[in-house]
Amino acid sequence: MTTISRIIIVVILASIIFTSCTDVIDVDVPEAESRLVIEASIDWEKGTSGSDQTIKLSKSTPYFEQQSVPATGASVKVTNANDGTFFIFDDQNNGAYTTNSFIPELNQSYTLEIIYIGETYTATETLTPVVDIEDIYQSMDKGISDVLEINVDFQDPANEENFYFFKIQEQADALPTLFDIKDEFVDGNLINIFNERDEDEDINQEEYQPGDSVDIEFHGISEQYFEYISLLIIQFEATDNPFGTIPVPLKGNCINESNRNKDAFGYFRLTEVVKSTYIFQ
Amino acid sequence: MNNQKTNQLLVLFILFTVSLFAQENYTISGIVKEAENGETTFGASVFLKGTTIGAVSNEYGFYSITAPKGNYTLVVSYIGFADVTQEISLDQNFKIDFEIKEDTTQLDEIVISSEEPERVSLRSPQMSVTKVKVATIKKMPVVLGEVDIVKAIQILPGVTNTGEASGGFNVRGGAVDQNLVLLDEAIIYNTSHLLGFFSVFNADAIKDVKLYKGAIPARFGGRVSSVLDVRQKDGNANKFMLTGGIGAISSRLAAEGPLFKDKGSFLIAGRGSYAHLFMKAADEENSANFYDLNLKTHYKINDNNKLYLSGYFGRDNFNFEGGFKSGYGNLSGNLRWNHIFNDKLFSNASLIYSKYDYDLDLDAFEFDWVSSIKNYNIKYDLKYYASDKVKLDFGVNAIYYDFDPGAIKPTSESSPINALQLDKKKAFESGLYINAEHKLTDRLTAQYGLRYSSFSRLGGQSLMNYENNQPVVYNKNLGIYQSGTAVGETDYSKGDEIETFSNLEPRLGLSYQLNESSSVKAGYSRTAQYIHLLSNTSAVTPLDVWTPSGKFIKPQLSDQFALGYFRNFKDKAYSFEAEVYYKTVDNRIDYIDGSDLIGNNTIETEILNGESRGYGLELLLRKSKGRFTGLFGYTISKSEQRTLGGNAGGPGINNGNWYNTAQDRTHDFSLTGSYKLNEKWTFGSNLVFQTGRPVTYPNGQYEYEGVSIANYSDRNSNRLSSYHRLDLSATYVPNRKPNNRWKGEWVFGIYNVYNQKNAASVSFGQNRETGANEATRTSIFGIVPSVSYNFKF
Repeated sequence: MTTISRIIIVVILASIIFTSCTDVIDVDVPEAESRLVIEASIDWEKGTSGSDQTIKLSKSTPYFEQQSVPATGASVKVTNANDGTFFIFDDQNNGAYTTNSFIPELNQSYTLEIIYIGETYTATETLTPVVDIEDIYQSMDKGISDVLEINVDFQDPANEENFYFFKIQEQADALPTLFDIKDEFVDGNLINIFNERDEDEDINQEEYQPGDSVDIEFHGISEQYFEYISLLIIQFEATDNPFGTIPVPLKGNCINESNRNKDAFGYFRLTEVVKSTYIFQ
Repeated sequence: MNNQKTNQLLVLFILFTVSLFAQENYTISGIVKEAENGETTFGASVFLKGTTIGAVSNEYGFYSITAPKGNYTLVVSYIGFADVTQEISLDQNFKIDFEIKEDTTQLDEIVISSEEPERVSLRSPQMSVTKVKVATIKKMPVVLGEVDIVKAIQILPGVTNTGEASGGFNVRGGAVDQNLVLLDEAIIYNTSHLLGFFSVFNADAIKDVKLYKGAIPARFGGRVSSVLDVRQKDGNANKFMLTGGIGAISSRLAAEGPLFKDKGSFLIAGRGSYAHLFMKAADEENSANFYDLNLKTHYKINDNNKLYLSGYFGRDNFNFEGGFKSGYGNLSGNLRWNHIFNDKLFSNASLIYSKYDYDLDLDAFEFDWVSSIKNYNIKYDLKYYASDKVKLDFGVNAIYYDFDPGAIKPTSESSPINALQLDKKKAFESGLYINAEHKLTDRLTAQYGLRYSSFSRLGGQSLMNYENNQPVVYNKNLGIYQSGTAVGETDYSKGDEIETFSNLEPRLGLSYQLNESSSVKAGYSRTAQYIHLLSNTSAVTPLDVWTPSGKFIKPQLSDQFALGYFRNFKDKAYSFEAEVYYKTVDNRIDYIDGSDLIGNNTIETEILNGESRGYGLELLLRKSKGRFTGLFGYTISKSEQRTLGGNAGGPGINNGNWYNTAQDRTHDFSLTGSYKLNEKWTFGSNLVFQTGRPVTYPNGQYEYEGVSIANYSDRNSNRLSSYHRLDLSATYVPNRKPNNRWKGEWVFGIYNVYNQKNAASVSFGQNRETGANEATRTSIFGIVPSVSYNFKF
């Protein structure tokens, strides 16, 4: 989904929110069989060797039973599709599988192979580069309310399709804010991303205050991952409002070779990432 | 089918009817009007007592009946009005205009003298139609005291909507865009004010409302679900009058009166809401409001020629200071010429314009978004009262459409947004129809009609071509639908037709009168719809855009069968209707997972062509006489859709399985009543119960990127909890002198008396403070009391 339509939907929502009231209720939800969840995020931070990488495996659970169920005992391997170099990720017996010898190569295709309880899961992706962040600063005058905002500026390369993923996490918060960006309407421009928070007593949320620390991750992503993460973000932002789209099953790229009806949740991504921390003045 | 064939059929019809009236018959024709204000009456029955000969007055009050020479008692009857009877010795053609008076005695339970006020509707093969008078609608309790036609028709069986804050209405499980909504014949593209809280129709300017839920007559075309035919008042032709009201949400004022030395009349009605509607007190800078303006005037050139001019303009505005401004609305105008050729042939020519546009100015993001749809429409309709057995309707219609699906403009130098104009689209739709209402025997009447429709998507734009002609492809590896690979463009010049479709749409109806008070009817209709509203949300939004059929989108084609039983009893104080229907729609657009429709120039990469079907049983019991009047409606129905992969490959949307449409409601029950206690007090109530809307709930969760991600089950396989509420109202008419011109009334209402928190939606997400998953219900209206004051002067 493009940024434009997202913004517009948010606007429509803002219009009805004033009229409605919300409350948390008990709902009976269906329970599907548990599946393997693959969080294989190979992120190469600019300026590092990128040799230390972790892949997390877990099991899905019923919607209201949010415990973490690590998947252990799997064999996990990532292969450079060009020269066949492979990297074995070692089982840490807590759902994490690690290596310290990964060799990242921009625009290179890699494959993932996981064998878990007799079933083989595979995925293929390309390590996508990212431009540098031009500036990180704060402001008050953007957005809908006059409150503190964090801004990130970066220069989109002209005449090529680019896709980006941002993760902004205020250190004291339980949850991050995720953004996906496509340069469709902003190709070649200096792009500005800002994030503000409104006070919300219901969830004990305050506006950004001087002294708050915000961690920023800025990833270059593939078009295929963009399709995945943008749908994920929309659905994460809980859009079954009267004007929301019908939520759909999220399909990643990790295929169960033994049984296509039990493809893994999650995704095998390879990105170049810029990380930074900003403290509000 | 080609044009020639249709013409042959037309000729056949006319030949056929000519042969039928070669006896010694005479014709009585004229206009039926209300005595008090000179408004023409639509649907009054004019019949010869003791015979089965009769007619119903048309939209302009015109009637014509033909009978053999003889002496008759002619009766004019119309619900709520006293019968007019006249002895007539039929030995020549007569022209008689009738003025009917409101039956004030009716409410005191004195049986009115009418022999058979409903006889024609029992006999007419037209089924699945409901006519509602605005006076009836005004008696129903409503939210915040705003009389609302679109909400009122949802009381009827087979009519629902997506929720309290959602626009439009759904008929027999159809989608909002499948309704043809006409205001004085002009197409209204969006019926909502404030996202559906209120409708665009100002009840003070409306005369009557007719809803065809199926068996759509041949003179209407272009939508597959229903026709809502709303007619504006002509204005009081006898005296100048002011009508108005002051309510919690809006105030209204209408002026009407005679014009051109009694040769005409006018009506001008305005309505405006107060600013800062619904806004929290603290947010004084923000506002939401709407207003609209209705205009109507007519001029009688002579007995056989009349001109009508009507117009509508409405607008909604939202303003969130420093964030965004948005506005949208309809604009329409219609110039009509009624011409009576002779006592049997009535004609009307119309020139119509309508437009809907949406405008959003996003200060915060430094861009502006506009989109619109416009059409120019020419119609010529004739009604030929051929004989006492046959009545013919025929006519032509041509519509030129102009679609602007959207333009983005940066609004400042520093805006990071590039300007973009989506391809404008043009199309031409035409229709040619003929319909006969034919009394085969005293008990059996048939209605058979045919509409030939044609639609051309015009050039003047370029279209993308796709590899293997697949705008959408199934990615077998990932198991998802994706955009196809574009391989260049084809440029269509202005003279080109990109694609042309044509369809023959037969419309059939039969009624068999079992006895004086009951009949059975059967109907079949085929309808085609060439333009589509792109909407992948549960409820339509004002910014959804319309798109024409063309290279990638096929016209929707619907077949509907219906069977019904109709009965009047207890001296016609009660009527009972039961109908069953089954309908199918081909080429219903469905949206692939994660589809993106706004600001997208290649919509074809987001959609697949599917189908839908629906069936149901509708029961309606009405009491229309006495101190207590009201209706009880019940519907049991099913509405579902399926979209196979087709040309794109793969299993299709939702794995190619049938799934509930968002409009599916298993049970829908409503009880509406009004009780007139005395001259001062009238009480009303509504009780509504319906099965919850189909929704999609999560069936599992997992952690990814530090957040809990829900996995969703099949589309629309769960339901919100049932919707129900009770509303009450009381109308108080203060004591007044009979000769006092000022007539005021107070309307007190309570909407949702027991404060039921009906879910408009349930959303699933993590609590931002605790991280725990929770289900959040959004409900729109709790208990809402209201007071409004209405007056006539």
